[in-house]
Amino acid sequence: MPHRAEIPPAPWKRRFLFLFAFTVLLPAAILLWLAGRFGGDIPVDYADPVEHFKYGSTGGEHEMGFPYWIWRALPEVCSQYLPGPGYQSIGMLYEKRPDGSLRDLPVGTSRRRYQGVDRVFVNCAVCHTSTVRTAAGQPPVLVPGMPAAQFNMKAFEEFFFRCAADPRFSKEYLIPEIQRQGADLDLLDRYLVYPLAISIMRDRVLALKGRFEWVFEQKAWGPGRVDTFNSAKVIFNFPMHRLDPKEFDAPADFPSLWLQRPRREPRAMELHWDGNNTDMTERNKSAAFGTGTTPPTIDLPRIRRVEEWILDVEPPAFGKFFPVDQTLAARGAPIYKEYCAACHGASGRDFSGPYVGRVTPLAEIGTDRRRLDSYTYTLAVNQATLYAGYPWRFTQFRKTHGYANMPLDGIWLRAPYLHNGSVPSLRDLLEPAVRRPAVFWRGNDVFDPHKVGFVSDQPEAQGRALFRLDTTEPGNGNGGHEGRAYGTELSADDKLALVEYLKTF
Amino acid sequence: MSFPLSPQRRIWLRAALAALVLLLVAGAYLGWSRGFREEPQPAWVFESGESRFRYGSIGAEHDAGIPYWIFYVLPRVFPEKFRQDGQQVAGGYAALGVAWEQGQELPVGFTKKTIGFPRVGNNCAACHTASYRRSADANPVFVSGGPGHTVNIENFFRLLIECARDPRFNADILMAEINRVTHLDVIDQLLYRFVIIPVTRKRLLEREAQFAWIFRPDFPEWGRGRDDGMNLTRYFMLKAPMDDRFGPADIPAVWNLAKYKAETGQLPNYAGDTHDVHSVMIDSALGVLGAAPADKADFQAQVKWLQDYLSALAPPAYPFPVDAARAAAGKAVFDAHCAACHASPRTGTRMPLAEVGTDSGRLDTWDKASAIEANRVAASMGITRKGLVEEDLPGYKIPFLDGIWLRAPYLHNGAVPTLRDLLEPVERRPRVFWRGYDVFDPVKVGFVTNGDDAKRVGTRMDVSQRGSGNQGHEFGIGLPGADKDALVEYLKTL
Repeated sequence: MPHRAEIPPAPWKRRFLFLFAFTVLLPAAILLWLAGRFGGDIPVDYADPVEHFKYGSTGGEHEMGFPYWIWRALPEVCSQYLPGPGYQSIGMLYEKRPDGSLRDLPVGTSRRRYQGVDRVFVNCAVCHTSTVRTAAGQPPVLVPGMPAAQFNMKAFEEFFFRCAADPRFSKEYLIPEIQRQGADLDLLDRYLVYPLAISIMRDRVLALKGRFEWVFEQKAWGPGRVDTFNSAKVIFNFPMHRLDPKEFDAPADFPSLWLQRPRREPRAMELHWDGNNTDMTERNKSAAFGTGTTPPTIDLPRIRRVEEWILDVEPPAFGKFFPVDQTLAARGAPIYKEYCAACHGASGRDFSGPYVGRVTPLAEIGTDRRRLDSYTYTLAVNQATLYAGYPWRFTQFRKTHGYANMPLDGIWLRAPYLHNGSVPSLRDLLEPAVRRPAVFWRGNDVFDPHKVGFVSDQPEAQGRALFRLDTTEPGNGNGGHEGRAYGTELSADDKLALVEYLKTF
Repeated sequence: MSFPLSPQRRIWLRAALAALVLLLVAGAYLGWSRGFREEPQPAWVFESGESRFRYGSIGAEHDAGIPYWIFYVLPRVFPEKFRQDGQQVAGGYAALGVAWEQGQELPVGFTKKTIGFPRVGNNCAACHTASYRRSADANPVFVSGGPGHTVNIENFFRLLIECARDPRFNADILMAEINRVTHLDVIDQLLYRFVIIPVTRKRLLEREAQFAWIFRPDFPEWGRGRDDGMNLTRYFMLKAPMDDRFGPADIPAVWNLAKYKAETGQLPNYAGDTHDVHSVMIDSALGVLGAAPADKADFQAQVKWLQDYLSALAPPAYPFPVDAARAAAGKAVFDAHCAACHASPRTGTRMPLAEVGTDSGRLDTWDKASAIEANRVAASMGITRKGLVEEDLPGYKIPFLDGIWLRAPYLHNGAVPTLRDLLEPVERRPRVFWRGYDVFDPVKVGFVTNGDDAKRVGTRMDVSQRGSGNQGHEFGIGLPGADKDALVEYLKTL
């Protein structure tokens, strides 16, 4: 009979289990937990395309996203760099929740959890959404896709750069403010993630500050405008101080985004104010750089949703806000047809016309040349290197020598007029330059249904100072688009009729 | 001694061995594929003779090639190294004055080819493409085979070396920038970080010794549109010890090469330094390659194609209106005063320096011993060519005047801005002007060389500097003004 000895549990077995737990199980568990805590790349999504436009992500948060609570705390900690309380003071718009309280983030910002931190940065809507009111006491109506006539982008950029350079951009100031605002940061967030994020974010913003030094030296853009293509030069790290001075001070109005499809079909129009690109997807990706995207981090599927929405979305009708005198408008129709249609389209929806979406040489149109000169051949060829290595490398940027003729859909909400927003109303645009307002105020959302444009003779609205636009400053010239062919020699009655007709666009 | 293996163990051993071999093969394949596998350039490059001339590889990516993503980020990481006349210039590679077509990923003359990984090399078109604009408010027109009067080659050479010298040329900084512009997979990430970036840096620094002379503070800058070709050959191909010779010359037009007929003594190069066009092309192409060709047969086929293409390439017609009557009057002046040299059997042959009297710098940079040595080096690469003329040369060659309107500035060293200026005595030719700005001046025939824009874009040309003398060729300077104007009008038609 085989002898079976009682084998006591070997000590090495327990040691092994112990060792196994320490060297394999525990690290694995920690790794798993870390992956769960810091892995993942999850944007906040919205089923509704309009909500997605207003709050959906372009992917810009990957590179440029501010940790959510830093974004929230900065306006308090660095309030001296804002003209008033909060991001509202630079024209960002907060919608109300159903319960009447304000949302935590303004229109045009998106949120994404990336590397374990919720991050916030801007999206398309920040420059392409605004409000309108029928009178000073009336509630504002948010219009997605219209030019962000109140958003002051220069002030927005300067705020972050100034704040990052301020000693208060530190955990000592930011964390108490974050806690004051009611954040329930866990221990890890409180003592590790946020302190680290604050220092990383400050370094990142400061690293960019040098590239954006030129912005501080520009004449104020004011609300509703951006120096688009000098900003584009920053992508390439051009030494901005070595550029030809005539390339600077080139602010241009944000455009509306409605009805892109007829701008693409049947004929691809020359897009941007100077018509420098005929490829809509390139135009869109190019604009997306402004929301912090880079070729490897751009969120193409989510941008695609915006691209599809703007193909067919229509501007709101003037008639929903103010009455239109149909008889007068009917009298304006033939005048429009004679004077405007060839360049601006048969109507507010029919963009056919031999010169629509094509560039008119500067010598002919005569409007302020700075925006045109800011876009150089040198920049155009450099842009052809963007998205290198991807099938959608940019190939269609071209230096032009004039400004493109735009379709006029929703033109009533696209005030002030001309590419640099130097003429406050449609009625003013029908005057020769010498009789257009030399100085006016931008940024009001109260509409003037008679002249068609925003109220522009008030220096402030709702207690907030508006931007005084002086047309004698560089880049602000209000000349051009004038003379017999442009309708500035029509009779006063004809001008009135024409303006009435344009309300129907 | 032997180990008796159980059958089971033998199977295991075999399996392990097979796995190892497989792993090695896979690794070798991966290494070859990511490091050396040559892919043909895309079809669009070969769509036309012109596109092939501008973007077709001549094999320079093997040795002189810069890995694509390093090339891509250099202007972003080192913008301060793009300089001319001691000042930083904005615009990335465009700031070097290269011809760059809109929509193209790379400038003309910059070729992209994948040899394991995408690399950027150069071809002849980098220097031999001319740019002109009809007015300041017009986009450039690029003329293949024309002199690249805008391109700042010296700055390109310098900046590559200066970047490599800079401590910021390291994997951390370059990879951070590369990762901002593209997505590389893990293997490419590792390759770039541990192999491509350090090796590129080393290779660029190896050039430093041969290029020491272009950093000499006592030599003026070549400026846009010029290179010191014979010194490049001496120091780069012959590895000659540095001496004080300095002779920058204009990049020449290379269209219509069929006009050089070796049998009747019409020689290429400024001093007729080479026996025939074929030899010049081989030597120039070797200069672009920076080493012996990786594939000799392919190299010779490329040169053959280029020679055929350029032999048949017509010079461009003058793009502005020409006053026919005045041009006809000018032809009479030309026949009387110029044709004996510029439209005769003498054309393309050498004129003694004493007779033409132009700056001797370019002539002095070359000699018989160098020619002999260069021929020896080429032969050692196994390349057969008639080669360089093994003599001390007496003077500059009398040039053909085809497409002369686009070959400004004039004289071999570009010391005279316009044709009209060339017809003035030396003391009345401009002493300081800016070259490399491409707006055309149809009155004086040449480029605009003064004014704010020309000064901002161009490099300063001071004829009192070494190698830049504007003396000599004082022919036709005594003609009446009307005759000079007529002559210039006629020259527009050549």
